[in-house]
Amino acid sequence: MKPRGPHQGLDVPGAAVEQGARDAASPTPAAALEDVTFTYAGGDRAALSHVTFALGAGEMVGVMGASGAGKSTLVKCLNRIVPAFEDGAFSGVVRIGGRALGAERVCDAAPIVGMVFQDFEAQLFSTNAAHEVAFAMEQVGMPRDAIAARIAPALAAVGLTGFDDRDPTSLSGGEKQRLAIASVLALRPAVVALDEPTTDLDPEGKAEVFALIRRMRTDGLSLVVIEHEAEELRGCDRIVILREGEIIAHGAPAEVLTRLDLLEDCGVHPPDLNRVLGLLGIAVHAASIDEAEALIRARHTNLPPPDASPQSAAPPPAESFAAPSDDRAPAPPIVVVRGLCFAYPYGPRVLDGVSLTIAPGEFVAIIGQNGSGKTTLAKHLVGLLAGDAGTIMIDGRDRAALRPAETAATVGYVFQNPDHQIFAATVADEVAFGPRNFGLDAAEIARRSDEVLRAVNLDALGDRDPFLLSKGERQRLAVASVLALQPRMLILDEPTTGLDYREQRRMMALVGDLNRAGIAIVMITHTPWLVAEYARRVVLMRHGRVTFDGAVRAFLARDDLLAGSSFRAPEATALGRRFGVVALGPAELASWIEGRT
Amino acid sequence: MPIYLYIDHGSVVHRLNPTVKVFALFVMFWSVYWVDHPLALLPLGLLMIVLAQLTGSWPNFYRLRWLFILLIFFTTLAWMVFYRKGPALIDTPIIHLSRASLTFGLGRGIKLAELLATSVLFLSTTKVEEFTAGLARIGVPYRVGFAITLAFRLAPLFIDSALTVVQAQSLRGYDFNRGGPLERVKRYVPVVVPVFMGALRKANNMAMALEARGFGMSAMPTSYIDFPIRPRDRIAYALLIGLAATYFLIYWTGYGAISAK
Repeated sequence: MKPRGPHQGLDVPGAAVEQGARDAASPTPAAALEDVTFTYAGGDRAALSHVTFALGAGEMVGVMGASGAGKSTLVKCLNRIVPAFEDGAFSGVVRIGGRALGAERVCDAAPIVGMVFQDFEAQLFSTNAAHEVAFAMEQVGMPRDAIAARIAPALAAVGLTGFDDRDPTSLSGGEKQRLAIASVLALRPAVVALDEPTTDLDPEGKAEVFALIRRMRTDGLSLVVIEHEAEELRGCDRIVILREGEIIAHGAPAEVLTRLDLLEDCGVHPPDLNRVLGLLGIAVHAASIDEAEALIRARHTNLPPPDASPQSAAPPPAESFAAPSDDRAPAPPIVVVRGLCFAYPYGPRVLDGVSLTIAPGEFVAIIGQNGSGKTTLAKHLVGLLAGDAGTIMIDGRDRAALRPAETAATVGYVFQNPDHQIFAATVADEVAFGPRNFGLDAAEIARRSDEVLRAVNLDALGDRDPFLLSKGERQRLAVASVLALQPRMLILDEPTTGLDYREQRRMMALVGDLNRAGIAIVMITHTPWLVAEYARRVVLMRHGRVTFDGAVRAFLARDDLLAGSSFRAPEATALGRRFGVVALGPAELASWIEGRT
Repeated sequence: MPIYLYIDHGSVVHRLNPTVKVFALFVMFWSVYWVDHPLALLPLGLLMIVLAQLTGSWPNFYRLRWLFILLIFFTTLAWMVFYRKGPALIDTPIIHLSRASLTFGLGRGIKLAELLATSVLFLSTTKVEEFTAGLARIGVPYRVGFAITLAFRLAPLFIDSALTVVQAQSLRGYDFNRGGPLERVKRYVPVVVPVFMGALRKANNMAMALEARGFGMSAMPTSYIDFPIRPRDRIAYALLIGLAATYFLIYWTGYGAISAK
């Protein structure tokens, strides 16, 4: 690829689309990696090892794998971030539209390869949406009139018409990521790579972004999408699975997504539908709930007919699973919130009369759209914010009379990003920090550190530098360092964000163990399967109010609540509803179906 | 919470050419620089109050109210210690309170507050893109101008990150206010390390995203915004030159100084 001049090939609207159309008719891949190996400077193994990969023109390829498998490295090769930006040893050839990339800078590749990153905050630089979309076009030297002509179509393409003057920081997560995509699309690249574009989004934002990706595919763009949730990639042409820098499986979704053991082995979350079918011994891929239902009914003919009123707000059918009985005597609540109201200065009301009680040993999931008040409520519980009205009692004491540090001994708070608290030179020192602040003696600090490090399975890494741990390990370290204060209740704010499936399972196994040991868990999350499989109670927040507070299964039976909250039930639950049952996971549903036959 | 100070109020100040606003920033700094007496600084303060009302910038002043209060209070207090001129009202080995030291301290406090207020007004009425364009218009290379404005874009993110880290550590029982001054500085290590590491990560991600969107392809990128010089800009230039000249005259005639008597 020759470095382009400021306007070369860019000032004719539709030029790239036409190029894409031409490519679709030719056998030349839109992008290709030929025997590419890359080892990061200081890395102990190749991040990519002899990878050969081709993206056909107009094709959409999903890339999956555990953290560290090489997914991001692979897509960063497409626009020369690897090796131009990242230090390391590179070998192999990268071709875009048949032309081998040589010594180009990353910016030179911008007009032909668009890149959308996971961290949408780091890719929005402007004060309004129109400037954001204009930014890349300004950089490549497009004239003002051409830039102005492309802004409205780019915003329209991502469903943000009329957002020209909106401050990007005021947008929801899904809108921010769609704006980032608009700014990439404005240059009309032939190839767009999306590196986990929905990781930090709520279900509504995630659905918005994937709907946009599907439209981009229909428009003929060649797409590479990295994603942890396999369900989202069912519509791809092909799926590539990476493990430790090597492609170990690739093919059509129907081929790859039925290899359940392989997916789990590679740290990939298998789609619920395939898991249910697999557990029932049906080794066929289902691309939708309809297909899965038909496959199951063909094999199990005596299942109840489809729910006659799927949209009704009726309570769960009698045949749903019984809630686990709790014979324990009711204990005094740890937290009692009454009529809590709060607004930031010059801002709208974020909490509007919230009332809530948390008892010992509970496992509560707080869910709701971004901005619904979940984190603000949690910060009130630990004293980081003070309400404008209402009361909070912690263990019978008015929280307003307690300092945050005093509250911490009863209610622990694990922030979403573990890197907001890690600073010590070793893992053991990090865990000891809290107990030391509370003036405990050395023997007690050592005892607690050992205990919590064992609980989070980091006892072998006590001498390690915490900054060298994986994200999942850092997240568990953050939990350990809060647990060292021996709280009776733990608030976890999005504890699985940014973790791969294997790390998510490990994290949640730990949380489950803590709960069984008697610690009340309050988990803020957007991930439906975590709510269904781990929580026992759901608190749904909307516009600063609690709009539902009850058992998980009762919540998942309420289509009206699901629709209004933008929360999407796990596919196993949605499939179960077709048979008139509310199931909390694939194993439960498969077991129920087998029990019926 | 918005991370930028810009408030899209649409006032006449908002609509001024960014070059005029960069010039206004310079003129306000210039005017504040030449005078020390609180009475000489008072007209500038009143002008800023009028501008804050006109431009709808009060929410930003409210956000930074503690900074303004602390700035004036501690600066006044500090100069009572160091400015030891004039007949003493109270004289101890540490504090020398005189009419002159009080006036000088108050003047310094107001001066710093006015410099801060000028910056707040500028950022409340100027988009970062306009700031970049304004700098480019007066000859600052695009990359340098972009780097300067990028600092304004990043600062709120880092402040936000630092506040979160302070919250996280305080919930682990950490007391930032224990010990003497040196000890207190040291006690911020549990904040500095995560913020610094986060800043490095964020800066790296941002640099990648910038280059991936073509930053660096052209030494002088085009601009989507057109900035013609309109009559109101010419009027603003004239008023600003008048203001700068007036304050230099006040300095030159000695009216802005503080008498040590």
